[in-house]
Amino acid sequence: MTKRSWTTNHDAKNSKLENVASMMDGKFVKTENAKELLEDLIAPGDKVVLEGDNQKQASFLSKVLASVDPGKVHDLHMIMSSVSRPEHLDIFETGIASKLDFSFAGPQSTRISQMIADGTMNVGDIHTYLELYARLYVDLIPNVVLVAADKVDRDGNLYTGANTEETPVIVESAAFKDGIVIVQANEIVDEVPRVDIPGDWVDVVVQADQPYQLEPLFTRDPQNITELQILMGMMAIRGIYEKHNVQSVNHGVGFNTAAIELLLPTYGEQLGLKGKIVPNWEVNPTPTLIPAIESGWVKTIHSFGGEVGMENYIAHRPDIFFVGKDGTMRSNRAFGQMAGQYALDMFVGSTLQIDKYGNSSTVTNGRLSGLGGAPNMGSNPTGRRHSTPAWQSLRPDNDPLGKGQKLVVQMVETFGSNKKPVFVDHLDAEEVRKEAKLANVPIMIYSEDTTHIVTEEGIAYLYKTDSMAERQIAIEAVAGVTPVGLRSNPKQLADLRARGIVALPEDIGVHRSEAKRSLLAAQTMDDIVDWSDGLYNPPAKFRSWS
Amino acid sequence: MEKLHFSFDTKEPIQKPVHVGVVASGDLEVIFRPTTDTKSDINIVTGSDGFKEVWQNVLDRFFARYPIQANIEINDFGSTPGVVNLRLTQAMEALKDEK
Amino acid sequence: MRTLWIFPGQGGQRPGMLKDVPQDLKLKVKELTGMELTDDGVAYQDSIQIQLGILILQLFNVRQLTQIKEKPEVVAGHSLGIFGAAVAAGVLSEDDAIKIVFLRSTKMKEAYPVGYGMGAIVGLTRKEVTALVKQVNAPDIYVSNQNSELQTALSGSLDGINKVLDLAKENGAQKALILKVPNPSHSPLMQSAADALKEAFKTIELHRPTCTYLTNYNGHAVHTVDEIKKDMINNLIYPVYWDTMMSVASELGIDTTVELEPGHAFTRLIHTKFPDLRNITMSEMGIDDTEFLLKKWRKIND
Repeated sequence: MTKRSWTTNHDAKNSKLENVASMMDGKFVKTENAKELLEDLIAPGDKVVLEGDNQKQASFLSKVLASVDPGKVHDLHMIMSSVSRPEHLDIFETGIASKLDFSFAGPQSTRISQMIADGTMNVGDIHTYLELYARLYVDLIPNVVLVAADKVDRDGNLYTGANTEETPVIVESAAFKDGIVIVQANEIVDEVPRVDIPGDWVDVVVQADQPYQLEPLFTRDPQNITELQILMGMMAIRGIYEKHNVQSVNHGVGFNTAAIELLLPTYGEQLGLKGKIVPNWEVNPTPTLIPAIESGWVKTIHSFGGEVGMENYIAHRPDIFFVGKDGTMRSNRAFGQMAGQYALDMFVGSTLQIDKYGNSSTVTNGRLSGLGGAPNMGSNPTGRRHSTPAWQSLRPDNDPLGKGQKLVVQMVETFGSNKKPVFVDHLDAEEVRKEAKLANVPIMIYSEDTTHIVTEEGIAYLYKTDSMAERQIAIEAVAGVTPVGLRSNPKQLADLRARGIVALPEDIGVHRSEAKRSLLAAQTMDDIVDWSDGLYNPPAKFRSWS
Repeated sequence: MEKLHFSFDTKEPIQKPVHVGVVASGDLEVIFRPTTDTKSDINIVTGSDGFKEVWQNVLDRFFARYPIQANIEINDFGSTPGVVNLRLTQAMEALKDEK
Repeated sequence: MRTLWIFPGQGGQRPGMLKDVPQDLKLKVKELTGMELTDDGVAYQDSIQIQLGILILQLFNVRQLTQIKEKPEVVAGHSLGIFGAAVAAGVLSEDDAIKIVFLRSTKMKEAYPVGYGMGAIVGLTRKEVTALVKQVNAPDIYVSNQNSELQTALSGSLDGINKVLDLAKENGAQKALILKVPNPSHSPLMQSAADALKEAFKTIELHRPTCTYLTNYNGHAVHTVDEIKKDMINNLIYPVYWDTMMSVASELGIDTTVELEPGHAFTRLIHTKFPDLRNITMSEMGIDDTEFLLKKWRKIND
C-alpha cells in the first residue's frame, strides 16, 4: 500500500507554477502573456475569486479571463463580491464559468437575473459581504485569486493604498491554502510607498495595460438634496441621534444621509449637540462629511474603501482617518463590515421598498441588485452585548435579562421619484425570487432588525412595539397616503403618539418651515471644496467649472 | 396638464394670506387666502395627470388634521405626495407664526 | 467607445422620407415584391407601404454608416426595426429583409380586418396594468410592449382594450389611449403571421452576427443565428421588452446611441432612462453630422 500524501494541493500548485516558469521573470509576467498564463494556471472547475467590489475592479484580469479559450478553461466557479462589469457575465455565456457566488450586482442587475432565470449560470448563494468573505475560509476556499494593486515592487510586495478594500481578505484565503495569487499592477516600482500585502503571499504579477477601474461611488452633490430630505434629516437628528445618544454610526449612500451629514454643523450645532453625538464613524470617506469634520463633529473615520478625489484631503487629516506612515489612507472592507455589524451603535440607510411588516429591499422590477454590505450593517447580531447608551436605550424595562439592540434606521420618502408607493403590501423581491428561482427572497433588511422608520410624516419607533400587529399599525401611521398608509386612522395615530411609538415633527420640536436648503452646511460641490481648504478635488463629473 | 377642484366643509377661518413653495420641477407653490365662504375651495393646476385620487387622499388627511377655512391655490410641477404635504404643513406653520 | 444602433418600428414615417434613398433600393422593392413605394400621404395609410418604406430607409442608413466605416457593438430594433438590425448585424441580406418584411406586412394586413388593435397606458407599471387586464376579464386582451418602466401597451380586441383604458384612467394613469395600429401585434393573436414567417425562413440563408443583438421577446443579448431567427419569426406573437433591452444595453457598457431613421422617439426614451449616454438621431443630424460627432467622440474616448 502506498503511503498517503498530505501535500497534494501544495504539489499541484507547484507543478502548475513550474509549467509557466518559462513565461516568468521572477514573479513577473509580461502583459502580452497574461492570457496564456491564465489558461495554464486555471483548471476547469476551479474556484476563482475575481476582485471587484463596488468601487475597485481588477479590470485588466477580468478582460483577460473573458478572452481565454473556453476549450481550455471552462466551468469555473466564480466568487465575486460585486458583479459590475459586462465581462463578469460574458464568461458565463461563453462557458468559461458556470457557477457564481456573489454579493452585489447593482450595475449588472438585469442581465444577472436573466442568466439565473434561463440557467446560463448556477448561483451558489447571494451573500452579504461578510458571509462571502467568511466562506472563503470555510467551504469556498479559492484555487486562484485575481486581484489588483496600485504599485508592486521587485519582490512582489503590494501597495493598494486607499483602495485596499478587500484585497487582503481575498489574498489571505489563497496564500495560506495553496491557492495561486495573481496580481495586476498599475505600476511596477523599485520601492512601494508601504507594504499593504507582503510579496511572500504573491505568486504572479502582471503589468496591466490600463490602471484598474475605480468609481467615485459615494460622492453626493449637495445640490440634489431636497427640502424633504432636510426635514427628515432634522427629524432623525432630534428624534434618534439625540434621543438615543448615538456615538458611532454607519451611513448608507443616499441623499437622506448626506443631508444629515450637512445638517450636523448647522442644525446640530443650534441644538447644542456638538461634542455629544456621533464622534466615531465607519463609512467611506464621503465628501459631504467634510464640513462635519472641519467643524469638529467627527473624531474618527474608518473606511471600507477610498473615494476618488478625497486622497489629498485625507492625507492632511491623519487624526481623523486611518493613514499609513507613507501618508495615504488604508481601507479594509472586511474589517469595515465587521465593525459595521458588531461595533456600531447605529446604521442609517435608505431603501426602495418597505412592506407592511417592515421588511425592505432594493430589488425591484426584475432587477436583482444583490445585497452588498447593508444587511451586515442593518442587522442586529443577537450575541452582541454593548454598554453604550444607545444600545442600552433599546433594552426593555420589564425584563431583567433583557438585551439592548443595535439601532437600524430606514429613511424613506413615502413615494419614490416615479410617484409609486415605497410602502407596499408585497415586495417586488418576492416576484424576483420566483423569476430567478432563488432560495431566499432577496430582502435587504428584515423587519425584526429594523428599529426605526423615518418618513416625511414622522418617525416610527418600531422597537417599542410588542406585537407584529402593533408594528404594522406603527408603519401605517408614517406611510402617508400610500395604500398601506391609508389604513391608518386619526385615533390610532393619536394613541401611538401618546405612547411614544410614533412621533410627528411637532412632537419632537422640528419646525417644517426651517427645512430649507440654506440650512445645509454646504449647498454645492464648490462649498465642500471651500470647507476642505481646497484639499478635496472632485472628479470631473461633479465639477461645474470644467 | 390637469385642473382639479376640491372642496371641504371647514370651520376655522384664516386671517392672513400665506404663500410657500416654488415653481420648479418636482416642487409646487401653495397659496392660502382668507375666504368669507363657509367652506374651503382648493384649485389645483398640475403638470402630472392621473393623480386625482392621490390629491384627494392628501387633502382628506390634511383637512382632518387642520380644518382651516381658506381659498387654496396650488400650482404643481410633478411633486410627490410627500412634497405636497410638506408645503401644506409649512403653510400651516406660517399661519401659526402670524398669530 | 461602445455604440448601440437603434432601429425604430412604425410610427415615425412621413411623406418624403425616402427622397434621399438611392434608386437601386426602391427598384429592389419593386422587383422583389411588385410594390411601388410612392412615399406620400396616401401611401402611409397602408401598413405594407409603411413597413417597406421604413425598412429601406434603414437599409440606406446602414449603408451610409458602413461607408463611413462605422460598426455597432450592439443593435436593437423595435418590432419592424429588428429586420434592419439583423441586416446591420450581418445576419440577413438586404434582399431577404425586403422579402420577409413584405410577407410580414401582408400577413398582418390579412390577420384581423376590424375590431382589433393596440392601446397604450402611461403612468402605470406592467404589474399594475396586468392586474387591470385581469379585472376586466374579457377575451383577447394581452399586455404587450414595455417601452419604459411606466409605458405599457395592450394588444387585442378594441372593446376589451377600451375597458382596460377606462379603468387605467380611474387608477392613476397619466395617459391611456388607443394607438393607430390596425392589428393586435405582439400578442398570441398573430400566430398565423408567425407561422408564415417560419415557413419563409426555411429557405433563407442567415449568417453569424458580427455584433451583439438584443432580442425583442425577452430582452436578452444574443450572438447566435438561432436566437436571432427565433426573434424574427416570433416577433409578432411576443411583447417587445424594449425597457429591458435598454437596461441590458447599458449593462453591456454602451456609451453612445445612434437612432436610425425615421424619428427620434427611442432616443428620447433612452435619454430619460440613462441621461449620461451620448445620442445621435440620424433623422435630425444627417450622415455628415453623424460622422463628425462619432469621430470626435471616438477621439476623446479611446
